[in-house]
Amino acid sequence: MDLVTVNGLSKRYGGIVALSEAAFSARVGEVHALLGENGAGKSTFIQILSGAVQHDGGSILIDGQDYRPANPDAARARGIAAVFQELSLIPDLSVEQNIWFRHEPRTLLGTVNRGEMHRRTLALLEKYDFPALRPEQELRRLTLAERQIVEIAKGLAKDPRILILDEATSALPAREAEWLLKLTRQLAAEGRLVIFISHRMAEVRAIADRLTIFRNGSTVAAHEANAVSDDEIVTQMIGRHLDRLYPERVPTMTDRIALKVANLASGSRLSGVDFSLREGEVLGVGGLQGHGQRELFQALFGATKANGTIELWGKPTAIGNPRQALTGKDGIALVPEDRRGQGLLLTKSVRENLTLSVIKRFTENGLLSRQKEAALVKEMVDFLRIKAGTPEQLAGTLSGGNQQKVIFGKMLLTQARVLLLYDPTRGVDVGTKGEIFQLMRDLAAKGYAILFHSSDMPELVHVADRVLVMRNGRIAAALEGDHISEEGILRAAMLETRAA
Amino acid sequence: MSAFLARNRLIVLAYAGMVVLLLVTAIFSPGFLSVSNMRSTVVLAAFVGIVALGQTFVIIGGGIDLSVPWVLNSAAIVMALLCGGQDLPLVWVMPLLLAGGAFIGLVNGVGVAQFGVPPIIMTLATNVILQGLILVLTGGSPTPSAPALIQFLSVGRLGGFPVIALIWLALTLIATLLLSKAAFGRHLYALGTSATVAEFSGVPTARTTILTYVVSGLTAAFAGMLLTGYSGQAYLGMGDAYLFTSIAAVAIGGASILGGSGHYLGTVAGAMVLTILTGLLPALNLSSGALLVVYGAVILITVSIGSETFAGLGGRIRGRRA
Repeated sequence: MDLVTVNGLSKRYGGIVALSEAAFSARVGEVHALLGENGAGKSTFIQILSGAVQHDGGSILIDGQDYRPANPDAARARGIAAVFQELSLIPDLSVEQNIWFRHEPRTLLGTVNRGEMHRRTLALLEKYDFPALRPEQELRRLTLAERQIVEIAKGLAKDPRILILDEATSALPAREAEWLLKLTRQLAAEGRLVIFISHRMAEVRAIADRLTIFRNGSTVAAHEANAVSDDEIVTQMIGRHLDRLYPERVPTMTDRIALKVANLASGSRLSGVDFSLREGEVLGVGGLQGHGQRELFQALFGATKANGTIELWGKPTAIGNPRQALTGKDGIALVPEDRRGQGLLLTKSVRENLTLSVIKRFTENGLLSRQKEAALVKEMVDFLRIKAGTPEQLAGTLSGGNQQKVIFGKMLLTQARVLLLYDPTRGVDVGTKGEIFQLMRDLAAKGYAILFHSSDMPELVHVADRVLVMRNGRIAAALEGDHISEEGILRAAMLETRAA
Repeated sequence: MSAFLARNRLIVLAYAGMVVLLLVTAIFSPGFLSVSNMRSTVVLAAFVGIVALGQTFVIIGGGIDLSVPWVLNSAAIVMALLCGGQDLPLVWVMPLLLAGGAFIGLVNGVGVAQFGVPPIIMTLATNVILQGLILVLTGGSPTPSAPALIQFLSVGRLGGFPVIALIWLALTLIATLLLSKAAFGRHLYALGTSATVAEFSGVPTARTTILTYVVSGLTAAFAGMLLTGYSGQAYLGMGDAYLFTSIAAVAIGGASILGGSGHYLGTVAGAMVLTILTGLLPALNLSSGALLVVYGAVILITVSIGSETFAGLGGRIRGRRA
């Protein structure tokens, strides 16, 4: 019998239908992938399962019994735990305090039994072979990836029968992502059900037994994983046939150097970085995560202090802060790593976000011109096909892909022609990914120069003209032409000496 | 129009609250709606409103200015001392003290923006330092009475309107221009919503922060001089009430105390609400202690209605990611 059976599930937020007639069924001991574009209803579905929101219509049966949790605690009581993309951890508490938060082992007096908590933490970490985590470390000292791992431990600490992983690998470096996939199989083997959401097809392929595809709030199809092709899955996800994810790579670079970096260094994370980026070029930046890619992008944008020389279009430029970086047509613009924390004002409108960096462009005699602003907004909404009800819609209510488009629009309005894209497709649905890659090639053809980092290696291989591979804060190799391959990147990232 | 209402719901609410409060007060105290009483209510509200102008800017930007009581008080006392009851010295004393207020704001702003001192600590410290300096300066002795010209600005009339109401109106226009029609406003709302996003978007975050505190120093000092005209003299402690009222007016006016939202037009309503309340409560025949309790409770309730609306908004945003 199925462990979970969902029928006719629906949920509305005001006038917006998030789910209608969604169906789902999954068995004990399987890894079940949930696929769909952003906005397809996956998140709403798992929020309902985990008790964060309540459904309006339809039924959920668990073990054949009606299931309608009023809150996450009620869901937990029925053995369901979820690990969300947005972390729920408290920075001031230690790793173990976070893991057991609100469910700490107690002494007879009712106080927290710290010794027991510590023992349980160690046992948990060992049982599932967690990557190095110190239970007593304060959470605020941890990287994003480490926090994601703590979040997973917190989910497992509840010993759930059903564990939901919402894009849990997207914040993890390759090795940890690998571990998580292994862990997922282990959990299924223990007789649990793992509901797994990922935008990375390779991962889904590696671990899922079955998969359910959502589109526009409804279930489109459910398959045995080995009975369906990638192509069919993508077609069902986006509702049309996607010719290909990656656009044709027509070389558009000229001899003109847009960005020349010499001897760039920043703290202990970046040293002696030299490279040139040409007009019309998409230059990839790869390597294992945490080897200086973030620092490189931040240094070029003026968000971190750095030494060394930077030339933009042949002119030496001092970039002390993002404001200087963004100045004028010879500037340099960034799509930042953290869309919600660095890129967007979630409680402000699409319009205000789009024009935030270019207020000068619609200021006349010191006063803002709403007409000129509206024209700029319209230009970007049309050009990027941003799907928002009106430009006054709050940015936080857009789907992930559309949020990313708003950030692209904000960057393009600055008229800077050197673009820094830090993992621009992270958490973006496959349809929008394709649009972003096409946009990158189109911009390159128009003479933009693009520095492009991705945590998803195939993107570098298929989109970039050249790839710089970073290791220990330096450029370990610059790959060109046929040398650009996942193997080539990994080799340069991991081996000691390597020339392209 | 409906879009305007939706965007500015909390401001509209503040004005609705003001009207309701006026009507309630009129029931308990029938003479309240008379022209002369409305006139004096507006004059009293203007002092709160002027101090709260700077406070509005600071709070929208994500900070708070606790130094207003003694910036106000210092300006009042130093003006009285320097003028010695004469009008002529005002020509240089007023600009000097406005500059002085702006300077205190600059110190606050630089401390917060450049040295990362938390706004509460920074402004509390300047407040105490000013208090000490003024005590040393006056030795506790009373100051000369206020010059006649400043009294005209506070209690005089022009074409039937209180002069200070006209000043307040002019300041409201300027503040509205700055918030709604100038780059500064966009920068300020972005800064208060997320300092990191603002920085990554090329907003001059340090400059904007400093400017809000400078404005707050300016308006507090200006209010101090006007208040001296109203009372006829300057005295120690005259600014104390304005710490609470300036912040409460901003909050009642619909601004989030965490920054990023609100408008001076809301604060204007907030200043009116607070002043009408102080007119209503005595009519209820309560003891002065009980009065304060009711005053505080009413403000608490008013503000929490606003923040609940905000919590609902936040919930909607989180709910709609799919």
